[in-house]
Amino acid sequence: MATAAQTKFIRPDGKDKVTGLGRYTADLTMTGMLHACFRYADHAHARIRSIDTAKARALPGVFCILTQDDVPDVRYGPFVEDRTLFARDVVRYEGEVVAGVAATTPEIAREAAALIEVDYEPLPVVSDVEAALAEGATLVHDGWSGYSASDEVVRDGNDASRSTIVKGDVDAALAAADAVVKERYVADMSHAVPIEPHAALAQWQGDKVTVWSSTQVPYIARSGVATTLQIPESHVRIIVPHLGGGFGGKCEFHYEAHVAALARATGRPVRLVFSRSEEFIAPDHRREGQVIELETGVMKDGTLVARRGRLILDNGAYSADAPFFPQLAAMHAVGPYRIPNVSVDASLAYTNTTPSGSVRAPTAPQACWAVEQHMDSVAAAIGMDPVELRRRNILKEGDTTATNQVLEPIGAAETLERAVELIGYGKDLPEDEAIGVGCGWWPSFGGPSGAFVKLNGDGSGTIITGAQECGTGAVMALPILVAEELGMRPEDFSILAQDTDAGGWDAGASGSQTTFNNGRAVIEAAREVRAQLLELAEEELEASREDIELVEGTARVKGSPTKSVPITKLAETAQGDRLLLGKGSGSPPPSPEVDASGCTGRLGLETFAAPTFITHAVRVRVDRETGVCRVLEVAASHDCGVILNPVGAEGQVEGGVVMGIGMAMLEGSIVGEDGRQRNPHLLDYKLQTAADAPPISIAFVDAPSPYGGPKGSKGTGEPPCVPTPGAVGNAIAQVTGARVHRLPMTPERVWAASHGVDA
Amino acid sequence: MSHACTLNVNGMSYPLQLDAGRTLLTVLRGELGLTGAKEGCDDSECGACMVLVDGRPVNSCSYLALQADGREITTVEGLAKNGELHPLQAAFLDEGGVQCGFCTPGMLISAEALLRQNPKPSEDEVRLALGGNLCRCTGYQKIAKAVLAAAQGATA
Repeated sequence: MATAAQTKFIRPDGKDKVTGLGRYTADLTMTGMLHACFRYADHAHARIRSIDTAKARALPGVFCILTQDDVPDVRYGPFVEDRTLFARDVVRYEGEVVAGVAATTPEIAREAAALIEVDYEPLPVVSDVEAALAEGATLVHDGWSGYSASDEVVRDGNDASRSTIVKGDVDAALAAADAVVKERYVADMSHAVPIEPHAALAQWQGDKVTVWSSTQVPYIARSGVATTLQIPESHVRIIVPHLGGGFGGKCEFHYEAHVAALARATGRPVRLVFSRSEEFIAPDHRREGQVIELETGVMKDGTLVARRGRLILDNGAYSADAPFFPQLAAMHAVGPYRIPNVSVDASLAYTNTTPSGSVRAPTAPQACWAVEQHMDSVAAAIGMDPVELRRRNILKEGDTTATNQVLEPIGAAETLERAVELIGYGKDLPEDEAIGVGCGWWPSFGGPSGAFVKLNGDGSGTIITGAQECGTGAVMALPILVAEELGMRPEDFSILAQDTDAGGWDAGASGSQTTFNNGRAVIEAAREVRAQLLELAEEELEASREDIELVEGTARVKGSPTKSVPITKLAETAQGDRLLLGKGSGSPPPSPEVDASGCTGRLGLETFAAPTFITHAVRVRVDRETGVCRVLEVAASHDCGVILNPVGAEGQVEGGVVMGIGMAMLEGSIVGEDGRQRNPHLLDYKLQTAADAPPISIAFVDAPSPYGGPKGSKGTGEPPCVPTPGAVGNAIAQVTGARVHRLPMTPERVWAASHGVDA
Repeated sequence: MSHACTLNVNGMSYPLQLDAGRTLLTVLRGELGLTGAKEGCDDSECGACMVLVDGRPVNSCSYLALQADGREITTVEGLAKNGELHPLQAAFLDEGGVQCGFCTPGMLISAEALLRQNPKPSEDEVRLALGGNLCRCTGYQKIAKAVLAAAQGATA
């Protein structure tokens, strides 16, 4: 029988998507539906003296205007409760929602939003992370110490979360090193940019509300609506139609409650659809800028002996899920290497800019871009080939991480060898081309997740799951796992998902965790159904269950293929009085032990459970006269455990690599001293196109993890964008002889660096 | 002020009375209920709204509905015929060229325009033709493969 990995994967939602008949949130309409529009802050930092909505209310077609006075006065936030639905007293970034309008057309709603009169007292704008942490800086939240927060978050004024990773004696090791390299890198803010902008549609029936939302995390959105509107979670149902990508940009709870509040106030369904510029400015999930200072001690033989790091991450105006970023970034500042003496100090600085939040592998591509370029600088300092330096220090089975986690069998070294082999590292190249290499790592996130599997009277099956499909195919591939347990075909199963009233709780399409956790849940649920089928088959076949196998849609006696009964017949028999229904969640895999004594700001990332290891090698051509770079070829080697769905895994790697190339060379927001983004649209924030994207060759390294998901699998979605920018930076530096210390490495910056100006 | 016009979409004629400022995209998605074309940027940058007008791909977000008066418009909904997927649609599914699917309608339209002009394109020609359609999921590899596979199948 075909195993999961051998089953050709045709997505069950594919036909809906290629015919254009599948509905996304913005495609939904309802009788009597009104359109929502927000009035955003007119300053990045200002005190609100007054809000006058009279003129806006008088506009024909306007049903209602809401401000913070019209909703429960609740502060919320996953780690630090530092924000409210609408601005209360102070606006802290340009995309902060001051008021919401519901009107008969989008045009009238926009006009009304512009007619709202807000009187402000402007306050000093904090737009720079280092200035934010300086003595005497203007506080972005002057009442920060009064906010409720998780106990583990170390906070102080504009430092919203500080974390340290400490091991050994860095000072002594640096003093004893043969060479010490010290560098500073700065990464600009960038964005998730799913092609579908945010949308939400809310409708009340009695005291219950249904919100159709383009969220990656329906259960978290449900909690957000309940918390902020002060209603029971059981009164909130979140349904996600097809979701047009997320990449983290649609994680966390965003605008579901605003739209629900407008719908309640008007007694009408209300729909909000974001423009592209709103998508850049408003949601609290952009990829944060970083300032990264690294100092590394190395011996002549290439042994790394010490790493000191100081990182400042840009939190933006509110904390969202970013308080765990400093610890995560600190782990990336060490990287997938054996370094006995480590001291990394990372802070998350409030600024008056769009809030940061998880975007595909949060903190990692930026930190890894700095660390991997730094590794090449360290290699240069001792005259060693940069691949050789990595080879001598990359983590192996039995090594300990900076938090003393002892590593299981891992494929890190093999990813390095496979990537350099695939790209032909060392081959002769034209003088304007070079190969750059970057290594990275990423944890898997085990957690609770629920699913039900049932067989229907006609022999078809239904998977009812809390998991959320964001495009990766992870949820769409669950039938492969279930079918394998039941000896059926994946196409025998339909999927009911993305409805909080149906499935069990799941963390959503975040943290590369869907297959890792929900895969475990559906397998467990299918095993319960399997046991029920075997019980029925025992009666039919007059054989004991140990002797019965489920194969090719039948239950049959092992060794006697003629003694069999179709599963459809068993399902028909069972219908009515014996439900074929299984439930699953399963305990998450155990977490490996660590010893992080001495480390502060511990939010769980001191453990890298079932870590994924990645090496990307890129061949880049640089036009020295213009600074224009082109990635010509990428070799990507990944240890993401056992591959359950090759087409899906390749799709993640290919998409992640191209996103990483975009981050490397083009994707960055320009933020003025006024705290405003200057390029919040795709005209000036350019993504890679099909014509830019290079060929990508992929080598998966199978290293099953005892701490992994189903069959030893690991998270797959986020790692592919981690090491690409660093690898590109190394190739550029090889060609030009000058390192670019600013991300993205735009043509201007490449040109400036190669002409001795560090732009 | 509104004007009378007729939009011919996927072989169906729609008599309409439209304000001069309306874009083709809002009319297709609103009055005509054809939501296959998507709005991703409203700037002619992402290509999610692409439709064929007299066989040429246009970003319908930046094309006035009245300009399309009397012309032949094909949206993604018009590609499948008699319940049979268009070879490009089948190839996108077969090659894994669909992930979130939001760019897919525009991609299919661009690819269809290409193959009508150039039935046997090279990979570079395919990638250039899709250059106006942004995809954030796939890295374009499997999309390019799908278009080449569809072209191969059509000429085999």
